[in-house]
Amino acid sequence: MKNKYLSYLLLFLLAGLWSCSDDNDVFEQTADERVNAALAAYQKQLSGAPYGWKGIIYPDGGGVYSFYFKFNDQNRVVMYSDFAAESAATPKESSYRVKAMQTPSLIFDTYSYLHVLADPDAAVNGGSYGDGLKSDYEFSFSGDSLSTGNITLTGTKNQSKLILIKATQEEATAYGNGGLAKSLLFSNISKYLTYFKRFVSGGVTYEIAVNQNARTITLNWLTGTTVNTFTTDYYYSSTGVSFITPFVNGSTTLNGFTNITWDAANLVLGVTASGTKTTIVEAAKPIKVDVAAAKRWYQAALSQDSYWVSENGFHVNGVDDAFNVNSLVSGAAKYYFYLYWPGYGSNYDAFAPIFVQDNNATFIYLDAAKAPTFSTDGRAIFSGLGVVGDGYPTDGPAIASKNYLYDTNGFYLIQLSDNAYDMVSAKDGKGWISWIK
Amino acid sequence: MNIKITYNYIFSLLALAFLMSSCKEDSIGDVAEIADLGGPVIPPTVIDKYIKDSLTTPYNIQMKYRWDQFEFGDVTKTLVPPKEEKIIPLSRVVKSAWITPYVQQKSLTFFNMYSPKTFILSGSVQYLSNGGVVLGQAEGGRKIVLFDVNNFKTRGTADYVAATDSNKVKEFVHTLQHEFGHILHQNILYPVEFKTVCKGLFQGENWINISDAEARQDGFVTAYSSSGFDDDFVETIAILLIEGKGGWEKIINSIPAGFSANGTSQADAQAKLRRKEALVVSYYKTAWGIDFYELQKKTRAALVPLL
Repeated sequence: MKNKYLSYLLLFLLAGLWSCSDDNDVFEQTADERVNAALAAYQKQLSGAPYGWKGIIYPDGGGVYSFYFKFNDQNRVVMYSDFAAESAATPKESSYRVKAMQTPSLIFDTYSYLHVLADPDAAVNGGSYGDGLKSDYEFSFSGDSLSTGNITLTGTKNQSKLILIKATQEEATAYGNGGLAKSLLFSNISKYLTYFKRFVSGGVTYEIAVNQNARTITLNWLTGTTVNTFTTDYYYSSTGVSFITPFVNGSTTLNGFTNITWDAANLVLGVTASGTKTTIVEAAKPIKVDVAAAKRWYQAALSQDSYWVSENGFHVNGVDDAFNVNSLVSGAAKYYFYLYWPGYGSNYDAFAPIFVQDNNATFIYLDAAKAPTFSTDGRAIFSGLGVVGDGYPTDGPAIASKNYLYDTNGFYLIQLSDNAYDMVSAKDGKGWISWIK
Repeated sequence: MNIKITYNYIFSLLALAFLMSSCKEDSIGDVAEIADLGGPVIPPTVIDKYIKDSLTTPYNIQMKYRWDQFEFGDVTKTLVPPKEEKIIPLSRVVKSAWITPYVQQKSLTFFNMYSPKTFILSGSVQYLSNGGVVLGQAEGGRKIVLFDVNNFKTRGTADYVAATDSNKVKEFVHTLQHEFGHILHQNILYPVEFKTVCKGLFQGENWINISDAEARQDGFVTAYSSSGFDDDFVETIAILLIEGKGGWEKIINSIPAGFSANGTSQADAQAKLRRKEALVVSYYKTAWGIDFYELQKKTRAALVPLL
């Protein structure tokens, strides 16, 4: 192409790009005007809800927690939280503001129940030091928050999800009257003496397992001889326990449990499930024994020449660390954890406390256990061959643990994950030990 | 490609320039409309009023407690804002155990000239990857960040446990005195001799692995003291002020007989601490004209009722 034409072509091209037509802005207002309008709208929406908001947060660290928020137009907010009994019963006021960060944001800017989840002090929330439960208290509004009735927020630091749902007058009244605290009575399910718990709804017996740290509920039930499993996250509301995923089985639909009652003297939890009152009852054995679980548990460690660890030993009759293994010492060495090591010796397994001595984890003595017998009904039955090592105590936690392990009724193994099993006494279901690998 | 410069080319460029200059400028809009320009407008609470009356008006000190991530240097760390009920008690202690002794001993002008003007509060400590925690930070003599406010308790707080909580009260005042010490020596340097007292015994980053008791056997008043010259100097000031004369003597006498891991004898360690004390006292006199022992008495007297 000749240079002459090129220069003209360039001219036309650039002139076309630059030629001024009318000012054709996409928006009629400036960015600042629009930000201010959005902030005002969010502020109005928050403080304008006459009965406040129910909030459900999904921290990045897992679990789900519920809140009740009542915002006013003076940067103050009153809260309830289902994290603990006290925060469920006592309202707490703190400060908040709606502010333009990179996007319009809602910041809870002085300490409140919401911050308990995010607190980097693990002693506050049971999370990890430095991170807490990886939750948030500074959120950005999602774009659709103004068009729908709910407000969806995303945490700035950990991307926790917070969903605000307008509360009704009844709900607001229920929160004010301790409704949330009443729902938390459900947490007493941990006080049942047996590992297995059941209830009946719609003519079907369900086995219920509650993980209060992860906030999950698992239901097991039988159709014929086949066991079915359903797991959902849950939170507490002003009326009871709410499932994140509703449970449907034929004509039975469970959105959760309502009307929670707790009989502290007899350790009985009453709930209304699917419109019918029922109680949660103790059970000595699983609804269906996983007969291969005991062998799986044993092989999982044996095949890797590895071992199963329990920090706190046996839980028996409602008492954590029933035999007080945490108090074990040997000279200057302190207790670290209990282990079961299949095939530790040429012809025996090791069941022993591990001690920390000179910054090293070490055996000092151990129970030499025979490889367990696996009964056809799925139990593992342990028995002893003798002891190895020096200074084996004559009584106390190690002896009590050993005697419990060698109970001739044996144990059921409940698989929680690849690397976690609970081993439950087959005698009465009231004692168990949690193994992790 | 080789473009020859011809009249046509120049002409077209000119035409282009003409076209461009004919465009009108966009207005940037009303700048007063920018969100939060001049700071957020928050209706003042009782706490805000207290801070204004007792710190901002007399000393030009701002106590910022509402959460603002960007006041904290490391945005990757997880912190939480302070509890509201802790702020007034903390402000009281800042005033009684740090501001008032300096103002009384020297002058309001001196204090207002050198004091940091902004306090930022965090409810929790800041956890470090090496297992340590941060309790206080100072930036350029202007700003002090106080951590762990949610655990602040003084005698009289409902669940105050003297055995553990008295250390926390001291820890806060310690941080204030420590950071103010930095500001003082950044304006007038301490005598060079101070750096030679514990020559060869400094631990640097390893300070986290030694205990206060071990550090004292080497003539450092705290483990953190042994991390570097400047921190050694201001830690000495801070401990002298918060422990008082009696507490200081107790620390010196607590050094056990024998030798430290680094071979410092008991007598040597004690002599080193006494030498540092003397250097601090003379520094305050010559550099600032302050009678350190009087300042120490006033600070300790303000602190005692809180413990």
